[in-house]
Amino acid sequence: MTPNSATSAPSRRSFLASTAVAAAAVAGGAPLLSACGGSQSGSKDGTTSGKDAAKILPAYVASTVVAPDIPAKNGSAAGFSKAIPTADLKTSVTKKLGSGGRLRIMSPFWGTPPKGDNPYYKAMNEAIGVDVTWQNQDGVTYDEKLGAVLASSEIPDVVVVPGWNLNGKIPGAINAKFADLGPYLSGDKVRDYPNLAAVPTEAWQRGIFGGQLRAIPFPAPYVTDIAPLYRKDLFDKKGYSVPTSPDDFLSWAKEATDARSKVWACDDMKWTAFNVFGVLSGSDKALWWNMDGGKLVNRIETEEYLEALEWTRKLYAAKVVHPDAVSGKAGGNAGNRLTSGQVLVYSQNISDWWGKTAEQRTQNPDFEIAAFDFFGPDGGDPKLWAVQPANIFTFITKTASEQQIKDFLAVCNFCAAPYGTKEFMLTAYGVEGTHYETEKGLPVKTTQGVNEVNGAFDYTGNPAPYIAYPDFPDVTRGMVEWQQRMGAFTTKSSFFGLTVTEPNRWANLADSFEQLEDDVVRGRKKISDMQQAVSDWKSKGGDELRDWYKKLLDDTGSAN
Amino acid sequence: MSHNTVPRSAGEAKNPARTPAASGDGDGEGERKGTRARSRDPKRAGRLSLRLRFRRDRTLLLMALPAVLLLLVFNYIPILGNVVAFQEYDPYLSENGFVAIFQSPWVGFEQFERIFADSAFWHAVQNTFVLFFLQLVLFFPVPILLALLINSVVRPRVRAIAQAVMYLPHFFSWVLVVTVFMQIFGGAGIIAQTLRQHGIEGFDLMTNPDTFKYLVTAETIWKDAGWGIIVFLAALSSVSDDLYEAAAMDGAGRWRRLWHITLPALRPVIALLLVLRVGDALTVGFEQLLLQRQAVGVDASDVLDTYVWWNGIRNQDFSYAAAAGLIKGVVGLALVLTANKVAHLMGEQGVYKK
Repeated sequence: MTPNSATSAPSRRSFLASTAVAAAAVAGGAPLLSACGGSQSGSKDGTTSGKDAAKILPAYVASTVVAPDIPAKNGSAAGFSKAIPTADLKTSVTKKLGSGGRLRIMSPFWGTPPKGDNPYYKAMNEAIGVDVTWQNQDGVTYDEKLGAVLASSEIPDVVVVPGWNLNGKIPGAINAKFADLGPYLSGDKVRDYPNLAAVPTEAWQRGIFGGQLRAIPFPAPYVTDIAPLYRKDLFDKKGYSVPTSPDDFLSWAKEATDARSKVWACDDMKWTAFNVFGVLSGSDKALWWNMDGGKLVNRIETEEYLEALEWTRKLYAAKVVHPDAVSGKAGGNAGNRLTSGQVLVYSQNISDWWGKTAEQRTQNPDFEIAAFDFFGPDGGDPKLWAVQPANIFTFITKTASEQQIKDFLAVCNFCAAPYGTKEFMLTAYGVEGTHYETEKGLPVKTTQGVNEVNGAFDYTGNPAPYIAYPDFPDVTRGMVEWQQRMGAFTTKSSFFGLTVTEPNRWANLADSFEQLEDDVVRGRKKISDMQQAVSDWKSKGGDELRDWYKKLLDDTGSAN
Repeated sequence: MSHNTVPRSAGEAKNPARTPAASGDGDGEGERKGTRARSRDPKRAGRLSLRLRFRRDRTLLLMALPAVLLLLVFNYIPILGNVVAFQEYDPYLSENGFVAIFQSPWVGFEQFERIFADSAFWHAVQNTFVLFFLQLVLFFPVPILLALLINSVVRPRVRAIAQAVMYLPHFFSWVLVVTVFMQIFGGAGIIAQTLRQHGIEGFDLMTNPDTFKYLVTAETIWKDAGWGIIVFLAALSSVSDDLYEAAAMDGAGRWRRLWHITLPALRPVIALLLVLRVGDALTVGFEQLLLQRQAVGVDASDVLDTYVWWNGIRNQDFSYAAAAGLIKGVVGLALVLTANKVAHLMGEQGVYKK
């Protein structure tokens, strides 16, 4: 449910929830109630929190190798902007945990995957002691393959699933097909994997699917991951100031659009609009719901939702959106339109701040992007909703042998190494001399490094959310500080932190809304069509689903 | 009958180009040829015992066997899977999606009721038929015209080059075709930008839902019309030059020769392809439409195949999609039977004959 143009992976480098935040969540977290819809009943729908969750969650053992020079605050990542000399790197995995066995991993990949036997994969496999074969699939259309792959009897050993792909019956499929990691990780057992033991508990909580700890989570800041990124270099050149309200944005956009010279103000801004107008988060189905005045309300029922769509529609109608963005997926890559200067602003995962900068600086030293702060509907402070503290998951199939599961955990433990360790450098930067060179004390990726050290091992295990680009200290600082400023306006909704499996009969109820949104903003459907769809949704089961969620909340309590 | 010699040779000529879909009646074809060899007395042939006929056609039957096996495995056995249309099928109930069929509850015609009540389904049906008729009218004649054109080129070199140029787009993927169209006809494409330089705004064929059906047809023509001429060229090459010479001697001009010799030679092939096309009417493109789904919206782009895919695979509502697929199959069967009947009434062979 991130923008379908999500072209750049939420890179492992981009997120963080400091250990401090995690500790606070555990210690000061709301007293969770017991009972759960799922774990006891055969259907496995519902969620797990409180005492039931406590029984299976891994213990938390903090490990701080290097203190972040920009500490985490307001749910932001922690920032590391200083390079560590190779000689000072610590070792977090003292002995090879892998048995030398083989693992096939299917993972989404944003961009062009490297060859399967490249030096980076080889070096990682060698260091971990597991022979991993990657099946990288296009991240933009990953959801289209997942259902079919999981329905087959030949599932890859390990499957990476982004939270925004947990649509329809996928959560049910996960409960049916993937192994319980509890026997290997619950409680103190996680101490065998010290880097995983340092993963924040609220991220592990998200890894509970169908009453069992099935996923290795990818910890993320709870501040929204969608940022309005703009070409700072071009803004400066033209003398534009950053828009500060929706109306301001529209009038700026009209001025900045110069179609004759192939310049449009923005790309699809729908996801920015949702944040500007304070729409409940769309990144995870349970986050669509929030308790408001004693009643559970879904994001699609709110005024804000319609206002956000209406504003986005105005942008399209004013022809300030790039024509190829109108075509959606068929129009090509939104990121390329930004880097080529054909659009000046686009909504994207904040990791693109670094991603595009790193990619472009080699050819264009002046290239500079930044994210502007969300403004409220009237130009004041925005009201933002928290996203889940982990939203990419890695699973291993039920049919895997014990040895394979241990190998899998060895991979995850290695990749979860914190900043300042040798394992981190290998995972994030590759092999020195091949994938990066040390210039003036800073690790700088070579072209080979940019092409090969990207994706794949990024998703299988991660430490607490962090942003660490010592070669781009300004970017690191910019990203963390943006998260901290936005974090101050962020509220957690009722189901924050929980992984909910909806009952099958309602699993497909909201399937058509994303397409309908796209039709409305492009002027092919009217706001009234959306209102009609919402009332159909209610009568077809939306109201029953509301009752179901209400009961879930009453039975298990909120996690925040 | 004057076209007695021509259609037969044309019928044979079309064989090499037949698609696997049609290879299922390979044994029937073989048998017919075999019978024809001794067709002086058709009654006698009919009286041959089954065993004798088997022995006579042994080689042909063996040759057909692999195709029949493939057809069984990939086309007939999967038909059984349609039972999920009458279930609330959840492939994730068991380790194996196949075993899950036996564990899923039966719901009778509930899925069909849901489908008939779904306006999106009827929209998809409507789009499918509109696209089919457009393609029939605009696309179908193009390969025939191109084949006539190519056939009129005498120099082999020019002919080979022209053919190669026309075949080539067939091997492009739809992604590439859509991208090429986008670069030319899109809102930021060559035409739109050129018009902008002259002060004309708003040219964008790629995102206009109203003209989408023509766009899709144009894409199909560009991609596949060249490929479609193969069958017709083969039919044309089997027309004896003597006929043209004789006609020319009798004073027939270009158009008369075209009308009285060339087109009658093509008639059986055209009839056959038309029947096949009608039988396939509900299949009007898949990837192509899916790729452009966001560009024009669901209302303009959803056809039966994309509808089934979206609900079944994308949203994992497998039973619902299976039921929709079943409806498509039944309607398709009715169409092909009707079209074949019409072909018979027109005095053509059609796809099969009792």
